[in-house]
Amino acid sequence: MRLTPGAAHDIDLDRVDLFDLDLYTSGDPHPIWDVMRAKAPLHHQVLPDGREFWSVTRYDDVCRVLGDHREFTSERGTVVTHLGVDDVAAGKLLTSTDPPRHTQVRRAIGARLTARAVASWEDRIRQAVVRFLEPALDGDTFDLAEHALLLPAIVTGPLLGIPERDWDELVQLTAMVTAPSDPHFQHGSEAATLAIAHHELVTYVTEWVKRRRSAGDEDGSLLDHLMSVRVDDAPLTDEEIALDGYSILLGANVTTPHTVSGTVQALIERPEQFEKAQADPSLVPNLVEEGLRWTSAACNFMRYAVDDVRIAGGTIPARGAVVAWIGSANRDESRFPDPHQFDITRSGAKRQVAFGFGSHFCVGAPLARMTLRIFFEELTRRFGSIDLAGEPQHLRSYFIAGLTHLPIVAQKRKTP
Amino acid sequence: MESSPQVHQRGGQDEASDRQAAPSSAPAALVRGISALWAEHLHGCDVGPDDDFFALGGNSLIGIKIIDRVSQDYGVRLSVRAFYLAQTPARVAELIEQGRTGT
Repeated sequence: MRLTPGAAHDIDLDRVDLFDLDLYTSGDPHPIWDVMRAKAPLHHQVLPDGREFWSVTRYDDVCRVLGDHREFTSERGTVVTHLGVDDVAAGKLLTSTDPPRHTQVRRAIGARLTARAVASWEDRIRQAVVRFLEPALDGDTFDLAEHALLLPAIVTGPLLGIPERDWDELVQLTAMVTAPSDPHFQHGSEAATLAIAHHELVTYVTEWVKRRRSAGDEDGSLLDHLMSVRVDDAPLTDEEIALDGYSILLGANVTTPHTVSGTVQALIERPEQFEKAQADPSLVPNLVEEGLRWTSAACNFMRYAVDDVRIAGGTIPARGAVVAWIGSANRDESRFPDPHQFDITRSGAKRQVAFGFGSHFCVGAPLARMTLRIFFEELTRRFGSIDLAGEPQHLRSYFIAGLTHLPIVAQKRKTP
Repeated sequence: MESSPQVHQRGGQDEASDRQAAPSSAPAALVRGISALWAEHLHGCDVGPDDDFFALGGNSLIGIKIIDRVSQDYGVRLSVRAFYLAQTPARVAELIEQGRTGT
């Protein structure tokens, strides 16, 4: 989807189709969300097949829906691709589990992903990022979006405990889950694409657990850690390990690349912002926050109302599906003045909710933040200028806001 | 980041399963056997030879069970991809037939 909105135009909210994949591939959702925040902060849409959902688009409402599990449960599924079909992994897959069980499992898994814990990986990640960036400086056109799909694998592969030979396939499979209708990733129908990807990813982790069990030692990796996690003095079941391992692979793979590509695109369009960051590396952490806000790679998450609930001037009926539009919350003018300005010196950029909000806040956020900081430190240090070398192409997905192609040409930075 | 890996009988707007049913080259008894096996795993609903797995409410958990049963009952290990792309009992029966004759 376009991250810099085009000109405002008349929008008929009764006819808006938020599930129209063309809107995200070639359209412009931001002007629609602007009108929704202003005129219909609780929006209702019925799909042609009868499924229906409510949408919240304002920052405060998005936070409430994501954060209050008593009003809005995760246990019937959280991804809009599955709207209307209850999640059979409820209570087993961490993201589809409510507190108190969620709190205990998340704490155990998250212990290995705190900012303090991931700090020890900084040098290794920096080496990986430098290796990743080098080919972009050899003077030829470099498709950043295409290459970036592998970046999380390069960076986190060793930490997760996944051998390099498996990464290409895993990156393909996780992309299939998040954009099952994108021609780059589709196999047969959308349903078949999702089933193949889910099946093969869960099977991959299950086989991995079997191999690790028979090896009988520990390799210190994150997936290994899942096998040793104890909750209420009991280990996770093999099914939970497979599902949470799947979720971690997905989380690592499908958002970071798009944050990288979307932020670099914003910098290409605004050379003065890039120059600011080159001149003052201490701006990079805030550049990362602004890039997260700007791209909002996880465009939305879904919850289901437990009972009738009053929100945003209306009522969502009990058992109704509600989509919290993170991409819109991060452009809410009441929180972010001039929200459609990309400004690496923006104060309050850190209040972005690109990682979600509340108990399901991204467990990998400290690792993602550090990886992005290192990426932009190295980019601003090594790259003199970056230009577009072709038309960017957007991911065909209403769940993940991303790019499939971003051809660039870059010059080495000459001055230190 | 999250997505549940289980349920997906309904696709989005790009649903492309509009392939026409073609006469199956697999023996009718085999097609009936596969239809019955699906019915068993899909809450006992009626399953015809050209019914779509996902339209019937199939998901990857059910898929795993059916692939295992096919392996036990017919001695043919179907690939996950082949199974989900086949999508109907008639075409799954063809895959089994091919697996048996090694074609």
